[in-house]
Amino acid sequence: MSSITEFLEKEKPSGYTGKMLKELSKLNEELNAFNNIADSLGSGMPFSVKDNICVKGIETTASSRMLEGYIPAFNATVVQRMLDSGFSFIGKTNMDEFGFGSFGLNSTKPARNPFDVRYVAGGSSSGAAVATSILKYHVAIAESTGGSISTPAAFCGVVGFTPTYGALSRYGLIDYANSLDKIGIMARHADDVRSVFDKVRGADAKDTTSIEGEYRREVSKKIILPDQLTKGIDEDVESGFARLVEKLEGMGYKTVHRSIPFIDKAIPAYYTIAMAEASTNLARYSGFKYGYRNEDFTQHYNQFFTNARERFGLEAKRRIVLGTFVRSASVRDEYYSKALKVRRLLIKELGKALQDGFILSPVMPIKVPTFEEVKELTALENYKMDVMTIPPNLCGLPHVSFPYAYHKGMPLAAQLVAGHWGDHAVLGIVEEWERHFDYKFKYNIGEL
Amino acid sequence: MVYMDDKEFSRLLSICRIHLRESERAAIKRDVDEVLEYFNSLESVDTNGVIEAYHPVAVGEKLREDAPSEFPDIGIILKNAKTYRFYVVGPNI
Repeated sequence: MSSITEFLEKEKPSGYTGKMLKELSKLNEELNAFNNIADSLGSGMPFSVKDNICVKGIETTASSRMLEGYIPAFNATVVQRMLDSGFSFIGKTNMDEFGFGSFGLNSTKPARNPFDVRYVAGGSSSGAAVATSILKYHVAIAESTGGSISTPAAFCGVVGFTPTYGALSRYGLIDYANSLDKIGIMARHADDVRSVFDKVRGADAKDTTSIEGEYRREVSKKIILPDQLTKGIDEDVESGFARLVEKLEGMGYKTVHRSIPFIDKAIPAYYTIAMAEASTNLARYSGFKYGYRNEDFTQHYNQFFTNARERFGLEAKRRIVLGTFVRSASVRDEYYSKALKVRRLLIKELGKALQDGFILSPVMPIKVPTFEEVKELTALENYKMDVMTIPPNLCGLPHVSFPYAYHKGMPLAAQLVAGHWGDHAVLGIVEEWERHFDYKFKYNIGEL
Repeated sequence: MVYMDDKEFSRLLSICRIHLRESERAAIKRDVDEVLEYFNSLESVDTNGVIEAYHPVAVGEKLREDAPSEFPDIGIILKNAKTYRFYVVGPNI
């Protein structure tokens, strides 16, 4: 039975919601999963919303000082569809500012890993993953541009699903990079993800890039292990992953090693495109609408605008600078256009590989890192950590991150990728895997 | 490798309307050089005759009707800005 059905069928004791919200607020002081928590809840299954997705009347900041105080006048389509399906909004979840980060650190109050607070929660949907790991009955609406669902889900030991690009409407999402952004779902079990996905997917007139997909549901027994993503990684990750492959083979899956052309170019192509798009999207935050307000209107626009942009964090500034450069007229062909062409080549190669199978890899080349370990990384070292999550994100392929073991108390996770519109098929494999795996959670707030 | 000198970097910051403190400036300048060198690895890919992929899936040419529609909560929008007689107040241009 899915936990959604279980929650709806179970009788709630008197004062259940108040007690649950109180307990959640207390733990949130330690873990920083939520930027805000609702005062009350309806009777539906609770759902949280990443803080870059608009909820009418609720402050929405994308964890940026630039958007402090911004109150949307409308619900994002995905939020409206959740409410229409009977779910109850529980709060907005923490994240890296505008989605810029893989470890959750680019936030004024970084989320902490629920298994051990010395460790990061992953990013950018850090809060969504923590919320899913601590709440017994809950699903999270998150968002991924280059790995922002897979990575935090992996670090916090939950299921993180990123659908085919266009499967879910982006209306009401605060854009990071329009051609890469995908709203997705986190939950404690794949069947809950599937249930939510089927309620919120589908074309939306308010998002012209949303599509009514022709989904492929057949589950292939062939799993491709790309050489470039399974070698030269942390020893514990490599040995844990090898054991997962053995177990899947025991379940009847046939695994094949393969080298995929251009996959090593995914990171530079992705960051070129992402930064170019981000630098234009962030230009709308000019200091007199959307959140932060500079009311010194005596300044000339250029100075006014420059002063307002002081409120961006360092990573946002770095991406604006690089993004503005790569799309400047003199080098546009060399960087931005080139990256778009490389994306085309990679889509073709991955499409060929995924015709009759799935790609499996770890989610990150490292184990869950501590805050101290991550602080030592340079910007480029940070970006290179996304080596496994970027290819499917760059190419808009559906993928799901799921835990498969625990190493010294922290989760190890893998990522399974399908061809376009193979969303249900990839979830189907994880559902099958779950019948052989016991999830571990440190907290079960709201348990009945 | 250094991809731009200080003068060019200052010009880029000015175009971006980004002001950096001295400590930020040194760090971002170093990152820009390092990241651009990494981006240059794309040069080795032969993309002759390849068309840019502006989207990862074919999204078609759907456009919304160019028509006004009712928006009942305009008050919330206006609360997000300083207003004067139903207009949003902005800086001088």
